[in-house]
Amino acid sequence: MLAHLRLTLICWLIYLAVTANFELSNLVVGLLIGLAIATILRPESQPLSLRRLPAVLFNLAKYTAWLGVDIIRNGIRVARIVLDPKLPIRPGIIAIQAGMKSELGVALSAHAITVTPGEQVVEIGDDGVMYVHCLDVVTSAEGAEEAQRKRRAMLERIFE
Amino acid sequence: MEIIWPILALVLVLTGTFFSIIGALGLVRLPDVYTRLHAAGKVGVFGAAFLAGAAALITPSVLGKAVILTALLVIAGPVVSHALASAAYRLGTPVQRATRDDLAVARERRLAMRDSMDSPV
Repeated sequence: MLAHLRLTLICWLIYLAVTANFELSNLVVGLLIGLAIATILRPESQPLSLRRLPAVLFNLAKYTAWLGVDIIRNGIRVARIVLDPKLPIRPGIIAIQAGMKSELGVALSAHAITVTPGEQVVEIGDDGVMYVHCLDVVTSAEGAEEAQRKRRAMLERIFE
Repeated sequence: MEIIWPILALVLVLTGTFFSIIGALGLVRLPDVYTRLHAAGKVGVFGAAFLAGAAALITPSVLGKAVILTALLVIAGPVVSHALASAAYRLGTPVQRATRDDLAVARERRLAMRDSMDSPV
């Protein structure tokens, strides 16, 4: 029941953000759509402690900011490579150990790597090894382990 | 103080356009599927996010739309480019000018292990 309400609320907020119309009729329509989606999806209830929520939100914001900085830095690097007349790419695939047990953790690590320009996960092995295609293997391989350690620490603080 | 928002929006529009052009240029210049996905799939998304930010600055009522759009792009974009890269690798599309390929090494090792197990003693 709690999960149902939570999903309804999230859908409602997204609907209101997209329509940006706070008249009573729109509020009601949004609530009905949210209820319908929650009824169809039937979310599984999972324990949510309200006490941990602020810490989780704070860590989520920190993670998003870190990811944003990473994306901008690497975006500029890739822009440089593409604009360079000599096209100085050193493509290749490197293996990075995700070091996380849960599938969600590995998936989110892979997402963080793939969302960064210049690196993308091609394949994930059974043992949680991510095979990452890089535009510049030498530069990416240097910082890869360190970045994954940092990423893992942040993700574990959000989803433990 | 009122003048600062249009100027900031202009800067964001120019940055977004610049990265969108880089994405298109990379798609043409880079040699193979995997490197092209870097330019088209990610740098392009990056450009669109800046354009959405600029739209939110000029007309504040679309802020919610811009945030949701950016979030969806950031969540769905990597999934698409991963699916394409993975499909290309499974089909055996060669990695052009590869200086290192750990996945091919791992795959060969696994195949060798399977062969040695299958072989009659």
